[in-house]
This record gives sequence, structure tokens and C-alpha cells, in this order.
Amino acid sequence: MPSVFHIVVCGSIVPDPLQTLEPITTPTGPALKNELMLPAVLDPWAWHALFEAANLAKNNPGSKVWLVALGPKAKLQQVMMSVAQKAPFELVVIDGPASGFTESAEVASELAAAITSIAGLDKTKLLLFGGWESASRGAGTTLPMVGERLGITDQFQGVDQISVQPDGSFEVLERIEGGKHQVSTCAGAPALLGWATGNLPEPPNNPQVGMANMRTLMPALQKAKPAKVTNTGLAYASVALPKQRRETRIVKDMPADEIAQEIVAWIRAD
Amino acid sequence: MESILFLACVEADGSLAKAAREALSAAKNLAAGLGGAPLVVGLIGAEVQSAANALAACGAARFLGVAGAEFAPSRYTTDTAAATALAKAAGATIVVAPASSRTNRCLAGAAQRLGGRVDSHATSIAAAADGKISLTRWYYRQRMEGVLTRTARPWVVLLESGCAPAYAGVPGTTTVEAVAVELPALRTTVTGVRAPASDAQTIRPDAKLLFVAGAGWTKKQADGQVHATEAEQLILGFLASAKASLGSTKSLVDLSGEGQAVLKFMSHLNQVGQTGSTPRHPKGLATCCHGEEPHTVGWRFINERRAINLNAACSWAQGKADVLYVADAFDVMRKVNALLSSG
Amino acid sequence: MTQDSVSESPVVDRQSMAVDIVCVGFGPATAGFLTALSKKLVNPDGTPIAESAAMPGMPPQVIAYERADDVGFGVSGVVTPARSIKAAFPGLDPAQIPMAAPVKTEKVAYLLDPVGASRRSLALRTADGVLKLFKGKHHAIELPWIPPFLAKHDGLVLSMGQFMQWVGGQVMGSGTVQVWPSMPVAGALVEDNKVVGIRLVDQGVEKNGAATGAFMPGMDIRAALTVIGDGPVGAVGQQLDRELGLPKDHHVHDWAVGMKFVIDLPESCTLEPGTVLHTFGYPEPEIFGFLYVHPGRIASLGIFVPSWFDSPVRTAYRYLQHWMLHPWIWRHIEGGTLRSWGAKTLQESGRRGEPHLVGDGFARIGEGSGSTNVLTGSGVDEAWATGTLLAEAVTELLKQGKPFTRENLESTYVARRRASWVDAEGRVAERARDGFQRGVVTGLIGMGLAGLTGGRLRAPGKPMPPHKRLPTIEAFYRGRISAEEIAKIRAECLAKGTPLHLALMDRAGWPAIPLDGKLLVSHQDALLMGGKVQAPGGYADHVVFPFPAICATCDQRTCVEVCSGQAIAHGPDGVPVFDREKCIHCGACLWNCARERPDGSGRTVLEFRAGSGGLHSAEN
Ligand SMILES: Cc1cc2nc3c(=O)[nH]c(=O)nc-3n(C[C@H](O)[C@H](O)[C@H](O)COP(=O)(O)OP(=O)(O)OC[C@H]3O[C@@H](n4cnc5c(N)ncnc54)[C@H](O)[C@@H]3O)c2cc1C
Ligand SMILES: Cc1cc2nc3c(=O)[nH]c(=O)nc-3n(C[C@H](O)[C@H](O)[C@H](O)COP(=O)(O)OP(=O)(O)OC[C@H]3O[C@@H](n4cnc5c(N)ncnc54)[C@H](O)[C@@H]3O)c2cc1C
Ligand code: SF4
Ligand code: SF4
Repeated sequence: MPSVFHIVVCGSIVPDPLQTLEPITTPTGPALKNELMLPAVLDPWAWHALFEAANLAKNNPGSKVWLVALGPKAKLQQVMMSVAQKAPFELVVIDGPASGFTESAEVASELAAAITSIAGLDKTKLLLFGGWESASRGAGTTLPMVGERLGITDQFQGVDQISVQPDGSFEVLERIEGGKHQVSTCAGAPALLGWATGNLPEPPNNPQVGMANMRTLMPALQKAKPAKVTNTGLAYASVALPKQRRETRIVKDMPADEIAQEIVAWIRAD
Repeated sequence: MESILFLACVEADGSLAKAAREALSAAKNLAAGLGGAPLVVGLIGAEVQSAANALAACGAARFLGVAGAEFAPSRYTTDTAAATALAKAAGATIVVAPASSRTNRCLAGAAQRLGGRVDSHATSIAAAADGKISLTRWYYRQRMEGVLTRTARPWVVLLESGCAPAYAGVPGTTTVEAVAVELPALRTTVTGVRAPASDAQTIRPDAKLLFVAGAGWTKKQADGQVHATEAEQLILGFLASAKASLGSTKSLVDLSGEGQAVLKFMSHLNQVGQTGSTPRHPKGLATCCHGEEPHTVGWRFINERRAINLNAACSWAQGKADVLYVADAFDVMRKVNALLSSG
Repeated sequence: MTQDSVSESPVVDRQSMAVDIVCVGFGPATAGFLTALSKKLVNPDGTPIAESAAMPGMPPQVIAYERADDVGFGVSGVVTPARSIKAAFPGLDPAQIPMAAPVKTEKVAYLLDPVGASRRSLALRTADGVLKLFKGKHHAIELPWIPPFLAKHDGLVLSMGQFMQWVGGQVMGSGTVQVWPSMPVAGALVEDNKVVGIRLVDQGVEKNGAATGAFMPGMDIRAALTVIGDGPVGAVGQQLDRELGLPKDHHVHDWAVGMKFVIDLPESCTLEPGTVLHTFGYPEPEIFGFLYVHPGRIASLGIFVPSWFDSPVRTAYRYLQHWMLHPWIWRHIEGGTLRSWGAKTLQESGRRGEPHLVGDGFARIGEGSGSTNVLTGSGVDEAWATGTLLAEAVTELLKQGKPFTRENLESTYVARRRASWVDAEGRVAERARDGFQRGVVTGLIGMGLAGLTGGRLRAPGKPMPPHKRLPTIEAFYRGRISAEEIAKIRAECLAKGTPLHLALMDRAGWPAIPLDGKLLVSHQDALLMGGKVQAPGGYADHVVFPFPAICATCDQRTCVEVCSGQAIAHGPDGVPVFDREKCIHCGACLWNCARERPDGSGRTVLEFRAGSGGLHSAEN
């Protein structure tokens, strides 16, 4: 008997990975220069979480997937046109900053409130998914706090695999030190899984999935409530790019023997 | 007045990891910087007495412990409950813990229970002369460094390894106050550890040197031939004698998917760079790789960087390496290996 | 399953979906179409103007599929009179659109050759000598006036990427039309001479197209109307041109590749937003340059390398760097920083390259429909206008419940085009074209400088397809580099697998580029730091060499020389190899192939198909 899961994936957008990023200071704190001009993608680890969610839902008929995103509405709309071709889900949008400089506790509070107000969500069936860490804040602190607010005390981070048993319990593989995985079994939902890369390949773009998602996408964007993210009690003294330029000594025309000696001496020096 | 809790999970053998001793130094330093704020040590594990004894001379006002079989494994339910109880018992306003997969998993939840705030992946936390505490961490995949301060307490801080000297005080004996923790029914059982099939032995996080191999190793050389077998031998030989860790460019690991000449021991785990890893090593040697920007982001925490490339105009030349040797890496590494093996 | 022109493979389990209108590509043309259509699909009372035939009970289903990974990854200049864009958004405030500025000042300059490596005719050298005598400041002669056809004074400086992101947001926000990026269209479905929709590309395949475990055959999207706005080198436009031929006396022989940088200007730069600079004469007389200033100390700058610059090693990247280093330009940009880079083909035959605009079930808009005006250097406004005209026609037919037959589209869309300013100005440009062919100066600037150089820059000639014009490398460098030396350079480069152009240009006297890692960067770094080029896995190669035996005997290998992304390299047995991860889909390889296929079709032997990936910069 397959289990029925209500899978909520928390994930927002980040700048497309190769973009050149530069911090600036604004009256409300640090931000990225031209943040809204940069092309964006769904946060990579959340992206994997979404594939895993879709896969789990497919293998457990009756299950359902929601994607809950706190981000700037206009940019989310654009990114959703790529995301929505990949996997079926229902979108829930909170309109606010997707910046890495926002306070994770406040973001968690907004996400938890949005999840709580999803109509038809059964918390006993809830699997809360998300990226292990974002590519923006890179902290891994938001999801656990959402879980706490929803009363989920079985949490896993850096997850690469979930194997569901017929009784609804499941085995989880979490990344730990030394390139290894810790193996745990959990009695079942509710639980929280912060995903790393997982094992699933990126699904192909499917126009039919896109068309189906479209029915809830635009209404969700229109209904989006503004988020209250104020970074209360948090102040940035500075945000700066590292000093990138070194004085490079370019060694040309030196025989390989001498280069080797220099390198060995350098390796051996402390 | 701040009150500082140094919090750590004890290893299976009852010891404290190097990262934990580093975080203790940072916590001590912070306490000192705050004009001698009280420091409390809080330990979680199956048995915590021997770890506490090892820290006997650290100057802590109290040693607190949550111990028992339930607290041996790394598990959210138990760890979060323990950390919360310790922070409450210590009356901590600041909690400093070493970053590890275990603490990273539980401490954000604990901060939430304590009504506090949390910062993970911190690279430093210190007090200025005016008593203001500032914390440094990186944003956007190590691309920019932020310095922040907070007024909310408790403030839970996870310090990355390699960012402070490890505490090395003489061991002694201490009394550990046991802190009671009320646990819900446990629904998660940790059953073991699984190593991935592909062996990651070429990755040595503690090595002094990171050796990065680029796609050039598998490209046609001056004689119009590919020398993949020799490349493998040279690289493995070097790793063995220099005890270096192996990194790779994206191009090189991607090649394996395309049926081209590849180095058999390379896997995606080796990839360094923006979409790969950002290892920390004191030195790095890049060979046959181009030094392009998304790749060099992965070098951010390599202090001294040298590169060998045939092309004098390769991007390493543009302020990204300390030294660029314009030379054939095959030639140079042959000689380097010979020198290293001759002592 | 349908019998169609795009299936070469045996029948597979291919899914199919029905909509009412499907669009290929989301460039300015389709943006113009969807902007106008989305406003017309609903009546003022909120009811749809017609019922969907594909999904009864729903309003008409309108979908656009864009090849690139996002809607803002296109490449253009852009300075535009923006007549049609302003008409579509009455009261448009440029400040709403990132990087947009009203045009403020315009200058056109003739650049002299400060390094002496440019391939100038004797006549031009003499003229240059005279010009230097009286007005050689910064090695350039600024024209005292802007030729009226070039003037853009009520226009806008835009970033194509930012503009398209903005428009994309507007049209999708309307909720009446959908734009799906990262979805290349493989070709049109043609049944009984009717276009009945499109087929999307296969996913989950190897580079050679073979299915992998994740195989997903490209879906068929069936539609009453297929709108083809896939630009100058789009696969669907190419397919229809092949299958239907071009109208009598029409040809598409004139092309150019435009390559550009977007840069942060140095603090010292005094150019104001809205400044528009155009140049000609350097680094080669045939190469045009542009520099447009956006708000926030940002500039778009680049060059066009046309197919009538008969060099078989006409690499745009190195020329772009030499152009930037010209004193007249360099004084403004020295100390700047590269933000973005890109390149794309322009179809320069314009109105003379106009294909069959409509047929049963399809209509063509934008540059691929011959809308671009080479004389005025304007393509965006025209492309947008053709989209608007089609939207009017479609609305009329939908309201009347008439089918999208050739006749109905002729009487609505084609009729509107014939009556439009796009057509009128296109005809002027068409006539000017031959003078343009005859000489850079004669054609473009008319009077002023023409007198000085005698208009002898280029021999008159009927436009020929590029591969018929291309000389051998030896012929091109005759008198400058000996055949023996070329043979030596060729052997060295082939051994290393690198193109010849850098070595040849060095040898021809072009100075080395002083790379600084910031503004003057290697071509590879431009791809990554500027273009952010990426290619998702699971798609087939879109540049293919189906006639390896012919490539093996080709000694120009222009495809390797011109490749804007260094994505084509010398391969084993003389057959070039293609690296999808570096391709920016500029399409230059399509018209730069030096050999014709033996079937008499006049096509070259390099195939440029629909593919995914490419630039990930939203600023070009
Ligand atoms: C979204 C995205 C993310 C990316 N993330 C990463 C990332 O995380 N990590 C990463 O590495 N890359 C990443 N890249 C790719 C990266 O930018 C480069 O393409 C890649 O690093 C180049 O690898 P390379 O230098 O090994 O190969 P190449 O560019 O092929 O360079 C080979 C080099 O070898 C040299 N060479 C050849 N033979 C010899 C010899 N005998 N002696 C000395 N030198 C020799 C050549 O001169 C050349 O410089 C990313 C790209 C994208 C698009
Ligand atoms: C460097 C440069 C500078 C220019 N400067 C100016 C200027 O200053 N002013 C001006 O007015 N014009 C300028 N132009 C010309 C102008 O950009 C074009 O005329 C205009 O973009 C044409 O619009 P379009 O919609 O017809 O086609 P495109 O802009 O080419 O759009 C076609 C779209 O279709 C997509 N596509 C192609 N094939 C497929 C497929 N098989 N499946 C799905 N999608 C597909 C493409 O990715 C693209 O997004 C410039 C062009 C270049 C290259
Ligand atoms: S594709 Fe064309 S230019 Fe390239 S090698 Fe073949 S024939 Fe020559
Ligand atoms: S291979 Fe790609 S980048 Fe190179 S010329 Fe062709 S389209 Fe342009």
C-alpha cells in the first residue's frame, strides 16, 4: 500500500550561477547590485528537492506537492516559466526579498505561516522539503526553524536519498563528514528533509506539465501576500568582495628542472 | 553582561574533534574580549566526562553535560533537545559551537526554541574594544564576505573549522553538572554509516596542499597524442609523495561522461569551483587548468596559489595566482615527482 | 502520429498537445505580437473575443516556445526609434525598464587606422592620408551631421535582455498568453502543404541524438496558426525556406555577425546616458562599430562583421578588441570592466530576403521575415511592428471566425504589411543595398566622405552567397603573407587544434591585445565572465557536419575561424568538431561555411539546427 504524502517544498530564487555579483549598501541593508536585473534560477538544492518531491508523489498516488516561495513576485513569475515545465506542483507565493542578507528566522516565520494556511494540507502526512542550504545565504538555518514552528521534530539535512517502506516509514541518507552518509530510519510523516543533490536527474521539460501548472501559477502570483522581513536586530557592518587580484609572478623560459626544484622547495617550506 | 556557552558534541570515543577545540579557543577569546564574560562548557554525548577533563584548564566557570545512550547518535530530536536544555541551564546569551554535520543540523532548531537567532558557517566571532560583537561569514557561495552584529539573544554561532587555533590546554579533572532533558517519543533511529561506492581517497581535507588537475591532462600534447596513462601516473605519484588532496576542474570531470580520455580516479566529488567545492588548504597547485573565474571561486580559501600552464595568457596570469609557471606540466611534474621520491 | 517533415526517425511514442496559436521564438517580433494580442483577446467586459477550438469553453490558447534558457538571453545593440514599441505602451516611461534611456546625442565617425594593419585599398590609404592632415584628432573624423536615415533622436537606448525580461513580465502577467523558455522548436509540422503546428526537440538524448534512458521525444504542438518569429537563423524559418523556396528574385545572401560587450564605464568617462556613437572604417573598412550609453555608467558596444568582408578568417572577437582599442573609443572606455558579452547574426538582405510571409496555417514575423532595415541599422522596431500587424490580423480573423488560410492571412496580415512603414522603408533600403554593396562609404554615408575616397572601397557586384565570395586564405593574404608561411602557420595550428586567425592577424601586423583580465580578456573568459555560457545536458548537438568528406577537403575551415564561441575546432580527419557547451547560438557558422552541398540546393554543408543552452546574460 503506497503512503499518501503531502509534500511541501520550500524554495526561492537565486541569481543564475555564473552571474557576476557585487554587493551594495541600501537604506535597508546590503543587497546585490542590479539584483532584479540578474537572471535567476530556483535555488539549486531546492530544485533537487522539488524533483525528489515530484518523484515521491508519482510513486505514491494520492500524494500532492506544493512549492512555497518567498521572493520578488515579478522575478518568481519569470523563473516559474522554467520550473513549471519540470514537475507538477501547486505554487504558494509570498512577495518579498529573496536576498541572502535577509534574516532566516523571519523568513522561516513567513514560510511557516504560509504553509499553515494551505487549504487541505494534512499535517500528519506532511513531508517538509527544501534545499539543505541556499546558494544565497548558504546557511541551512531557515528550514529547521520552519520545521520547529510546525512542530516537526524529525529533521534531516544534506539528504541524498529517501526510501519509503510499505508501512510509510522511510530510510534517509544524510551527508556527513568524509564523503559518507549517515543512515537513519524514521517512523514516517511528519518529517523534514533538507536536500542535497540527491540521485535523480533533472526531469525533461514537459509542455503538458507546464500547461497544467499554469492554471494555479498566475492566480498564486496574483494572490501573493507581501512578506514582513525587516532584519530586526541584525546590522551589517560591511559586505565586500574579497580582494581578488594578486601580484602574479609569471615565470617564462625557466627549464623544467628549475621549476620543479622551486615547486618542491615551496611544497616543503612551512 | 554576556554569558557564553561553548557547546560541542563528543566523538564516539569520548574525545573532542579538532574543530571543537578550535571553537573553544574562539569562545575563550570572545569571553576575554568582553572583559572576562563567564564561559560555560556544555557537552553532549554518550559519555562526556573525559572530554570535560580534557578541557579542565580552559577557564570555564561551569561544565554542563547531557549524556546517555540516546545522545550518542547524531539525531535532530535528541540533539536539539539537549542543546536547548544546555543553553537554558547555562543562561547563555551567546552559544559558540563548532560547525559539523551534527551541530549544523540541530542548532538552528535549538535557536528557534530558545527564541534566539543563529549564524552558521561563521569564520570569526570577536568583540571589539567597545564590546560590540561582530561575526564574519560568507554569502552567495563564498563570493562575498559580510560582517554583522546582532542585538537579539541568545545568539547561536556555528564556527567553521580552520578559523581559530585549536585549544591545547593540559587535561585535568572537572565536575560535570548533568542537565536533565525531557525527550519525546523517538521516531528516528540512526542505523549506521555508509561510504559511497566510488572511493574518495584522493580527497584529503587535512592536506597542506591541494593539487588541481585540469582538462589539459587529457588533451593532445605537442606530439599530437593524448597521454592519459602517464597523466594518471604522474598525478597519483605526486599525490602519494606530497600527501596532497586532489581537486579537479569541471571540464575534466565532465569529460568522463563523454567517453573521452579520462583519469579513472576522478569523480564529481573532486570538482573544485563555484559549482563544486571550496576546500581550505594552505597551498594549492593548479596544473593544466585555465584559471577561469567560476573555477577560481573555488580557490578562495587557498592561501598560496601556484599554477603550471603552457599558455602565458591563461587566466591565472591575471592576478589569480601568486606564481604562474609557463611550462609543460608533464615535464615539470615528472621532475617534481623524481625530486620528491629521492627525498 | 503524423506524417510530417521533421521526423526522420521511426515512429516513437510521441505525445501531442493542441493549442490555438503557437509561436516559435520570443524575440522582439513575437513580443510585439503577444503584447498586442494579449490586449485584444478579451473584450472590455472581460469575455474572450472567441472560443478556443483546441480547448472548447476556454479563451484561445496562445503559447510561445523560446529556445534560450530564459526570455532575456537575446543579443542586440540596441538603439531604436521605438516607434512601434511606444505605440504599444502609450505613455511609456523608459525609467521603468532597466538600462533604458532616451537618445540624447548622436555621433558618426570615420576611424583611421592607427596601427597600420587594416586591409585598406590604395584609394582609401590615400584618402586617409589627406584626412589625417586636416582633422585627425583621436585618429577619427567625426561627421559634421548625422545622415537622416541613421538618426534615432526620438528613440531609446535599450538592453535587449532587460527589455525582453520586462516585456515578458508584462505579457505573461496578462494571464492570456504563455511564454515557455528553454524549449527549442525542432521544426514545423507540415501536412498536405499546410503547417499544422510544431514539433519540439527531443530531450534525454546523446550529442548525436541517440536516445538515453531519460529519452523524451519532442512533443507535437498542433495549432490552427503557427507564428514563426525565430529570427535570422531559426530552424523553422530555415525549414520553410527550404520547403517553399523564396519568392522570385528574393535571396538571403547578405549577413553579418554582431558581437558586443556590455561594460561598466570608468569613473572618468563623461559620456551621458543616451549617447549614441557609430563608427566605420576600422579595424577593417567593412566593419561597423557602435557604442550606446545606458543609465548608471553602463555602455553597450560592439562591431558588425559582414559577409561582404571577404576574409576567410573574419573572427569577430579579435577585431572587436582592436576596435575597442582605437583611440576614439578607448579614451572613453579605458579602465572599464566587462559585464556581459554576446554575439548574434543579422540577416542583412532585408526586404530583398523576404520569404513567403504566410501560407496555410502559418505566418512569419520579424527579422526572419525580412523586416530588418540595414540602411537605418534598425531591426527591433521593425520586428515589433510586424508582430503588431499580425496581432491585428489574427484578431480580425478570430472575431470573424475565419480560418488561418493563406488567403485570409494574405488579405489581413500581408495587406497590412504592404501598407506599413516597415515595407515602405524596407523598399528604400532595398534600393540602397546595391550602392552599399559597391562601397562602404558610398552606400552608407552618401555624399560627405564619398567625395573624398571616390567611393572606390569595393568593386560593384551582385550579391552572392557568402561561400561563393570567399577567397582562399592564400588569396586573401596575397602580397602580405606568403603561401609557404601560411602553410607553416596552418600546420602548426592544425597540430594544436586552434584556429588560424590569431596567428595570421599577428603576422599581418595586428599588435597583441594587452589582456588585463578586466576589460580586455581572453575569448574563453569572455564566454564565462561575460556570456555566462551554459548548456543543459540531454540535448543533441545542433551544429552538425553531415558531409565529412567535403569538410575534409575544405582548406578555409571558415566555420572554425569565425566561431563566436570557439565552439568549433579542428577535429580528427579534417572534420571540425563541435562543443555544445561553448556555443552561443549566434548562427555565424551557418552562413560562413565555405562549401556547397552536392545536391544542387545551394545550401552549404554545415547544418545549424534548433538547440538548447547558450548565453545566460540578461544584459545584451
Ligand atoms: C554554470 C557553470 C559552472 C561552472 N562551475 C565550475 C566549477 O565549479 N569548477 C570548475 O572547475 N569549472 C566550472 N565551470 C567551468 C569552467 O568555467 C571552465 O570551463 C573549466 O574550469 C575549464 O577547465 P580546464 O581549465 O580544466 O579546461 P580547459 O579550459 O580546456 O583548459 C585546459 C588548459 O590546460 C592547459 N594545458 C594543456 N596541456 C598542458 C600541458 N602539457 N602543460 C600545462 N598546461 C597544459 C591549456 O593551456 C589550457 O589552459 C563552470 C561553468 C559553468 C558554465
Ligand atoms: C549585435 C547586434 C546589434 C544590433 N543592434 C541593433 C540596434 O541598435 N537597433 C536595432 O533596431 N536593431 C539592432 N539589431 C537587430 C535586432 O536585434 C534584430 O533585428 C531583432 O532582434 C529581430 O527581432 P526578431 O524578433 O525578429 O528576432 P530575434 O531577436 O532573433 O528573436 C528570435 C528568437 O527566436 C528564438 N529562436 C530561434 N530559433 C528557435 C527555435 N527553433 N525554437 C525556439 N526559439 C527559437 C531565438 O532564441 C530568439 O530569442 C542588432 C543585432 C545584433 C546582433
Ligand atoms: S563546415 Fe564548411 S567551412 Fe567548415 S570545414 Fe566543412 S566545408 Fe569547411
Ligand atoms: S558554433 Fe555556435 S558560437 Fe560558433 S558560430 Fe556557430 S552558432 Fe556561433
